[in-house]
Amino acid sequence: MFDIQEKLKEIGPYVPESDDDLLVCRCEEVTKGEIRRAVHEGITTIEEMRRFLRCGMGLCQGQTCGMLTRRLVARELRVPQSEMDVATSRAPMRPVAMETGGRDLGVEKPAAGGDAE
Amino acid sequence: MKIERKEFIVVGAGPAGLSAAIEAARSGVSVTVFDENARPGGQLFKQIHKFFGSKEHMAKIRGFRIGEELLREAEEKGVEVVLNATVIGLYREKEIQVQIGTEVHHYKADAILIATGASENMVNFRGWTLPGVIGAGAAQTMMNLYHVKPGNRILMLGSGNVGLVVSYQLMQAGCEVVALVDAAPRIGGYGVHASKVARCGVPFYLSHTIKEAEGTDCVRGVTIAQIDAKYQFIPGTEKHFDVDTICVAVGLSPMTQLLKMDGVEMADTRGGYIPACDETGATSIPGIFAAGDVAGIEEASSAMIEGRMSGEAVAAYLGYASADEKALREKELEESLGALRQGMFAPKNRGKKLEKTDEGIELSEMLLEKGYIGDDEIKRFPGYRAEIKVHPVLECTQNIPCNPCQTACRKDCISIGDNITSLPISVKDSTCIDCGMCVASCSGQAIFLVSENPEKGTGEVTIPYEFLPLPEVGEKGYGLSRSGQRICDATVRRVRTSKAYDGTALVTIEVPIGYTDRARFYRKADEAQ
Amino acid sequence: MKKTADVIIIGGGIVGCASAYYLAKAGVKDIIVLEASRSIGHGGSSRNGGGVRQSGRDVRELPIAMCAVQKFWPSLSDELGVDTEYTRQGNIRMGKTEAHLRKLDTLTTNCRNMGLDVRMIDRKEVHAINPYLSDQVIGASFCPTDGHANPLTTTLGYYIRALEKGVRFYTNARVMALEKVRGQVRKVRMEDGAVLEADTILLAAGYASRKIMNTVGLEVPMHDEIDCCLVTEMEPKMFPQMLGCADADFYGHQTRHGSFVFGAVAGPEMLMDEDTDKVNFAHAATLGASCRAIEGYVPLLKNAKIVRSWTGWCDCTSDGVCVLGRPEETPGLVLACGFNGHGFGTAPAVGYMMAQTILGEQTLVDLSPLRYERFQEMIG
Repeated sequence: MFDIQEKLKEIGPYVPESDDDLLVCRCEEVTKGEIRRAVHEGITTIEEMRRFLRCGMGLCQGQTCGMLTRRLVARELRVPQSEMDVATSRAPMRPVAMETGGRDLGVEKPAAGGDAE
Repeated sequence: MKIERKEFIVVGAGPAGLSAAIEAARSGVSVTVFDENARPGGQLFKQIHKFFGSKEHMAKIRGFRIGEELLREAEEKGVEVVLNATVIGLYREKEIQVQIGTEVHHYKADAILIATGASENMVNFRGWTLPGVIGAGAAQTMMNLYHVKPGNRILMLGSGNVGLVVSYQLMQAGCEVVALVDAAPRIGGYGVHASKVARCGVPFYLSHTIKEAEGTDCVRGVTIAQIDAKYQFIPGTEKHFDVDTICVAVGLSPMTQLLKMDGVEMADTRGGYIPACDETGATSIPGIFAAGDVAGIEEASSAMIEGRMSGEAVAAYLGYASADEKALREKELEESLGALRQGMFAPKNRGKKLEKTDEGIELSEMLLEKGYIGDDEIKRFPGYRAEIKVHPVLECTQNIPCNPCQTACRKDCISIGDNITSLPISVKDSTCIDCGMCVASCSGQAIFLVSENPEKGTGEVTIPYEFLPLPEVGEKGYGLSRSGQRICDATVRRVRTSKAYDGTALVTIEVPIGYTDRARFYRKADEAQ
Repeated sequence: MKKTADVIIIGGGIVGCASAYYLAKAGVKDIIVLEASRSIGHGGSSRNGGGVRQSGRDVRELPIAMCAVQKFWPSLSDELGVDTEYTRQGNIRMGKTEAHLRKLDTLTTNCRNMGLDVRMIDRKEVHAINPYLSDQVIGASFCPTDGHANPLTTTLGYYIRALEKGVRFYTNARVMALEKVRGQVRKVRMEDGAVLEADTILLAAGYASRKIMNTVGLEVPMHDEIDCCLVTEMEPKMFPQMLGCADADFYGHQTRHGSFVFGAVAGPEMLMDEDTDKVNFAHAATLGASCRAIEGYVPLLKNAKIVRSWTGWCDCTSDGVCVLGRPEETPGLVLACGFNGHGFGTAPAVGYMMAQTILGEQTLVDLSPLRYERFQEMIG
């Protein structure tokens, strides 16, 4: 069992750092300071962090910032990085246009008005 | 919805995927490979340098030619390669969704190999989101696949093999590399790669990192600074460079999304966050395999063997190969892979600080910190020998798995022995015929032919040269030291090119006697340093 | 850790977090929340389409939904100090055929009888309210006080404020059994063997509630069902309403962020046999079916790129509505589960009333239609 109140007591209050304004997640424009502060508010997993701040939820789905965020949260929580969760992966692995996604029946002609030849 | 059934699907037509496809097809398995790119080969077609290893690892062959060879073999074995085909989902019962053009297709297979490779890591510094900050791999793609120059003045962050190799290629493409920077106190990649960059005059800044990328609309400059043991900037150590591009080569992350979305068990390792799998790449889900960088970051040479092992395992899994056949082939491949995983840069040595070579010779600290060996240091290595008549000097001072030089020389001037990671020895009393094959065969460009003419008061140094235009015979210029400093006048005496040299030109420069041990590169007189 | 509390809440979802928050706000000092997974809001609380809807609700649930919209949602962002992104701009439930319209008309009439402002609108009015909808939509029901919110920030908002008020939260804290002491349900046995004790235990653990309540001889006929959503990249602002349709093809809205969240299924999802603890992916057919459904109602979105999909679990009861309150036969235990995939919109009111129930106060609305005993009456 992970005792969140105890952990927050252990890590103490949020202390600002000079580079807290650095962007970590560029897709969703989330800064280092926002992530650090959220940890002290009680956000202790990557899953929660993504939901709370949207970091890693943009177009690249965290391919760029995922590990950076993980390292940052681990450091703030004072736990080894290997103890942090890793964001889940979901289909589609690459962004897919709605129209393309819908053409998966294998027999259908492209929808009328589509721009396919 | 229509689901097409396949026997064996490979996701990713890179070195691992293609190797697996070939190996499985060889046993009679019907294979389909999907790749999201317009061209197959993965990273191989970006690799214009010669590979390390031994003959079985296709050493001294340039990466893109290995790619061509794999494609030819795949075609010969009847492997179906579908390009511009992005696998967007992996589902239960080994079903995949593939986006091809503006449609999505569903396929199922009896076995699926995920060989999706890796993506580049990023670091956060002030200004890291400015246009002009790019991954080193991206720079390589621009140059070597699309023939677009990534920038004019470039700073490279990261001294692993990617950072070193790409720095060299940037210079080949006509860019100026102003500095190579790494937060680590020691260079991460092969010393020979570092040396070929250093001798072109690129300064290395170890224990430094980027403080800020400057510019409002795009990169206009960069400031680096030294860091202490706790990775904190040391005030007053800032250095500024005018650059238009910053390349970042700080490691790779396996692209495991497909495996993760299918529920494959994962493991947090030093090779990255990767699927927990056995040596054949079999994951926790029967019939789902992983090979290459997605199963742990390594070199392309290792990926190819891993791919072959997976291909063999899939053939056995699908009943095309007997357990005995599988075991036999697996043993052979394991030995081959084992050879590549030896030496100072072996996965088991990651993060270790080594002091001496296997031979007990003290490593060059300068090489590790500045990218070049000291003029006196080189003399303690077995590749060096002093002689008046022409002979090879092998500036290969780290135990890496590579041995083409040994067979390149028909006159037994070079000896490595059976252990592929041993340092090459310049054999005493052997007769060098100045054929230059060793110089061209060295993937690390670390072999030089040296001779002296005491009567004339000059000496000659033959250097590997991979820049265009080639110098002309009779041209005057400068001999550059291992650190890229002008140290003497030099006259070009010979420029040799040959099909057997595979793109490496041999430039012989005449330098004053006493400089043959120090001059390691050439620059034309009117060229800016 | 301290092994006793006034109240133990099993389940760190929105109902558990909201109940903890309102209890703490009411002055209860000693509250423990136990979450089986690593993350608060791991289940349906975060994996839903964000609907804050009254229209189309079962009449037994409707008073709670109306209470939530009137008394809780409008001020919730201020109350929690997080942006819940609550948007009250109506719910359009669309129809493309006469049969659809008849179905919508029945639902509308039922809700109007309960006092909800919801009405049928014709093609012209549909397109006046939302010009992006397909011409094939011939009519709709419209409830102007319905809307949507962000389930992620709302759930975590309740959690953070409860944490701030001293509620003790434990994650990786899986409950194996409840135990009685002298006729009262008082003890909670954990997976690691620890035993916790409290005067009142609130069970709000989604489908997992069933196995836990079984240990003290309670049973709610329910099953868990997979439901899927997809998310697009950020798009220019288009419309603020929540969309749904008579055919239940899809539902969804544009978030304040700009991305669209749509839920839809292909059909086979509800019969998928998956260990929900381990994997939670959609069926391979879901993505395509969802895209076709969405394009069929909002054609302009055909070029919107999908960046992610997700799957959540619904704890579905045999009669389609949740179970709330104290079962007579198990003093000390309060149930709040079986939300059937539409518990997010009512969660603030449910949390508040669970606090009231635990404190012995009269609840804001009558919860007796949702009592545990109804299942025995159904069978009997």
